Amino acid sequence: MQLPALPLPALPALPLPGALTPLDLLFAAAAATLLLALLLGRWRMAGPLMVMGYGVQFWLLLETGTLRGEPMTAAMRFEILGHALGWRYDALSWFFAMITIGAGFVSAWYAGGGWQGLYRSQGHGPRLFHVALAANVLSMLLLVGSGDFLSLFIGWELVSWASFLLMAVAGGIAAQAALRYVTYAFAGAMAVLGALVLIYGVTGSFSYADFAAAVPTITNGQLWVLVALLVGGFGVKLGLIPLHLWQAPAYAETPGPGSAFLGAISARMGLYAIVVVFVALVGIGRLVQMEIPYTFISARELLCWIAALTIIFPTYTALQQHDARYLLAWHGIGQGGYMLLGLLVGTANGSAGGLLHVFNYAITQAALLMAVFAVMYRTGTADLNKLGGLFTRMPITFVVLLIGIISLAGLPPMAGFVSKWLVYRSLIAAEMPFLFVASVIGTLGTILSVYKLIHNIFLGQLRLEHEQVREAPVSLLAPMLGLSTVIFLAGVFPGPALSWVAEVQRALGLEVISYTLGGVESPQGSIDMVWLVGVLFAGFGVGALVFYGFGGKSKRVHQLDNYAGGHFLTADVRYHYSDNFYAGLMHLIGGLYKGGFRWLEGTVTSTVDMLSFSTVGVYRYVQPTLFLLAAAAVMLAWVVL
Amino acid sequence: MTGLFSISQGHSVLPVVLPLLAAFLMQPLGRVARPLALLLGPATLALSAYLLIRLWLAYGDAPYALAIGGFAPPLGITFYVDRLALLFATAVPVLTLLFWSRGEDDADPLRRDAVMLLLAAAATGLALSGDLFNIYVFYELVAVASFGLVTLRATGAAYIATVRYLLLSALGSVLALVGIAIVYLQTGTLSLAQLAMLAPDALQNPLGLAPFALLLIGFGVKAELFPVNTWVPEVYATAPTRISALLAGLVSKLAVIVVVRLLVLAFDGTGATQLMLALGALGFVTGELAAWRARDLNRMLAYSSIGQLGLVFVGFSLGGTAGMLAGLALVLHHLIIKSALFALATRWRGALARLTGAARSAPVSAGLVVLFALSLIGVPPLPGFWAKLLLVLGLVELSTPLALGALALVLLGSAVEANYLFRLVVRLYARPDDASTPALPKPKLLDFGVASAAGVLLLAATVSVVPVSGWLRGVADQAADRAAYIDTVFPTTLVQSGAR
Repeated sequence: MQLPALPLPALPALPLPGALTPLDLLFAAAAATLLLALLLGRWRMAGPLMVMGYGVQFWLLLETGTLRGEPMTAAMRFEILGHALGWRYDALSWFFAMITIGAGFVSAWYAGGGWQGLYRSQGHGPRLFHVALAANVLSMLLLVGSGDFLSLFIGWELVSWASFLLMAVAGGIAAQAALRYVTYAFAGAMAVLGALVLIYGVTGSFSYADFAAAVPTITNGQLWVLVALLVGGFGVKLGLIPLHLWQAPAYAETPGPGSAFLGAISARMGLYAIVVVFVALVGIGRLVQMEIPYTFISARELLCWIAALTIIFPTYTALQQHDARYLLAWHGIGQGGYMLLGLLVGTANGSAGGLLHVFNYAITQAALLMAVFAVMYRTGTADLNKLGGLFTRMPITFVVLLIGIISLAGLPPMAGFVSKWLVYRSLIAAEMPFLFVASVIGTLGTILSVYKLIHNIFLGQLRLEHEQVREAPVSLLAPMLGLSTVIFLAGVFPGPALSWVAEVQRALGLEVISYTLGGVESPQGSIDMVWLVGVLFAGFGVGALVFYGFGGKSKRVHQLDNYAGGHFLTADVRYHYSDNFYAGLMHLIGGLYKGGFRWLEGTVTSTVDMLSFSTVGVYRYVQPTLFLLAAAAVMLAWVVL
Repeated sequence: MTGLFSISQGHSVLPVVLPLLAAFLMQPLGRVARPLALLLGPATLALSAYLLIRLWLAYGDAPYALAIGGFAPPLGITFYVDRLALLFATAVPVLTLLFWSRGEDDADPLRRDAVMLLLAAAATGLALSGDLFNIYVFYELVAVASFGLVTLRATGAAYIATVRYLLLSALGSVLALVGIAIVYLQTGTLSLAQLAMLAPDALQNPLGLAPFALLLIGFGVKAELFPVNTWVPEVYATAPTRISALLAGLVSKLAVIVVVRLLVLAFDGTGATQLMLALGALGFVTGELAAWRARDLNRMLAYSSIGQLGLVFVGFSLGGTAGMLAGLALVLHHLIIKSALFALATRWRGALARLTGAARSAPVSAGLVVLFALSLIGVPPLPGFWAKLLLVLGLVELSTPLALGALALVLLGSAVEANYLFRLVVRLYARPDDASTPALPKPKLLDFGVASAAGVLLLAATVSVVPVSGWLRGVADQAADRAAYIDTVFPTTLVQSGAR
């Protein structure tokens, strides 16, 4: 069943001068938002102004009509040093741009309200924050519209440096984390640049079409080099192991709404680039043909396993975090693994699951981080050992966090369930049972850690110092509640989001999923969330009937009315079990945490340091004339031989 | 002074002669009228710059040769003036003026002024000369002048650094002289144009490659070529920062231009380009790696300059117009940025730890450092990116194992470069560890002006990258055209007889 064009009404066409397209207007609006942030960022009303800016961008994006209509090429194009540079939007671009602008919209809203006062009081200027956010949105809009490898690289670099700015604005630990990020990101960018010029060497241009045409003639050896360089380079941003270490600290230390924005969409730019090159241009089919000699696995399976291990390792690292921001940020890395895994499976369900998870995860992570930062706003800490019992003080934030963690853990009836279900289902249908088991192990880690998250913050007993804590201000609650509503609606009615995903699949030339309002209907697996949620709530209803039918006996217990081991606990000693939360589990698996990735990073750093030390030695301590003579002798020998 | 109103090709000698004359007049004039003597230097340089710009406007389209003293080449002294020569000749007085010392370095300003003028004259001569012997003479003059300048601070460390520099430079000159002798033995001429005619027969063989290697090593001392650049970090760290700016920004580039002229005209073989490619790539990687550990701003800039010049050599080694374009873009980019960074370093020299939180007292300067750092590591859409893109594309098009290895080294080195430059940036914007540390002095107004102008220039080039690249291609086309060089110097029948 095909749905009517959801969820938005048709818009009147914009009258445009000359060759300008709505796409140019979109870029201009994003640039104008950046300019406004620069000029008026200090103004008290800068937040609402920015929100309006992102609203205009959203409207212009819809105006392009590139989701369901024809792809649109921007009139903005350059010819530099003989290389054409252009931008073009299709359904894939639309999808990522829509999430980007949406994330910017809610983050700016969050930033513009009560949060701004706190940020100012910490000695930061909101102007730089708004500038950084607007620069991120603009650069991402450019990246997802890249029409050739050159504009792809330029967009890639702009996104990297814009997110560096957003990460670094808070200074201190955040700036150090940003520096680590930029080292990874620039090394990755150099790998990408290397791959792109190698492509240029083969096809003689930076055009996508020329590369796609040349793919059948490229040898597997050349393609392996491209896979290594591009998956490595793009994978830095996506946080694929072993290149993921920078991400959690960098995202977690970014100021509140910035963290929500980055967590929601920034890492997905790596996914976008991988999709463009390996799904759209090279094709999954070609990756399957690239077999590793003397093994049973192909390039695709290798990448699938990297994705699966990216789900597992960071998720279990998240389990050990005792800062709520870090816990969520580590999850962001793992969730990227699901998206890549689904896309690499490549079937209608798999790629739909991967793409849908981009959207579902974005709304989930934004809501979760906003809830955590709302707690931080009121209590000044995100340390899971210094919170507890806040349910009585911040019930709405609690509900937002609850909805968020259900979605993050991939449980019905929230959005995250649908996309994760599609990925699981496609793995089973594609006969990849081990990968399925791996992704379920990852989900187990998620369930454990999100329980720790909500327990340590909201359940248990309230700490003495938090007696006076109030609910977060409305300006913070509004975007959080809005996102929670979307999470719930996208869980019960996944049809609209699936309709976008289907258009993206069509644009990429993949098999298109057959969706309904409530889910999916195909021989590979069907699901109807409306029905499922109906049963779920009917179950609750039956339970309630039974409960109240038998008189509904219940007794309100005060939060401090607790016993431990049969012994009553007095109110002056607060009892909230939080530190070393999963002691029993850690007894079993704690020995498996070896810090191997940290070791690897340290090894690379000390190797560079050692090389650097020896070159400094060469430049500073050795008799220089000796060098000259030696150089002359070597050169003459080389000439003669 | 009719020269001020009408310009002729003969005037192209003046930018060399006038500063030389002024340098010799400095001391006598100082006895008579000291204020006048102090003004003499800047006035002469301003006049030189004016003349060169007039020459550019009048004759920039087609190259011309100038036989000095009326002796026709190959017997007389030749100046070859094309856009490349004019570009760098103009840069000499302009940059010397911008980095003219302003009294804080030396007790005897007249002596210093005289040496600066000598440097300017010799450097201009280096850009314009059309034969190997004159190039050697001007090169030696530049060397002597730079020895005098780097010891201006008269500290022990400066003397030690200069002795190392002197030893290396002297031995390098000897090697270059041996190279020139071999060239003369092989061809019987030192005129570049005639060498260009004879090269296919006489120099495209091992015996021709040997003098190129010797000349490369010899001139490479000043061009910061690996491995004869070991004098660089100590000298730049101990010399007055403005002098370091001149040496790193300008003098090194003139030595590069000489090598490039030789490469284009006389040694256009794969052996020579491979040699330059390998040494350039090694220079880039070692320079960037050494800078990674630098704890002192001037040393960091010095190592970075070694690295960037390595990149320049890689660019020029690509050959043809593409190589010339890549090399020129890198040269100009580095000339602007490194000069500006050293200008900022005049007040910020010393340990990097002192710079913690400098952005608070000097926000614009810190912003400029960010801009220069971004362009140096090649972040689009800044000009540094386009220069680096030309370079890596050229390497891929060569696609020899050596070129691909150099490509890998260039990309890896850039990653290291990004790390240390942004460590500096994060430090500039960090909060000082304790509030009692005295605030750093702001850069002097003129130095700040130089850096800001460089920043504006960089941004202007970013916006107008299309016309700038077109213009640069014109310069590169002219400079890579060997036939035009020969035709210009020998417009008569000599060409036919020589070619035979």
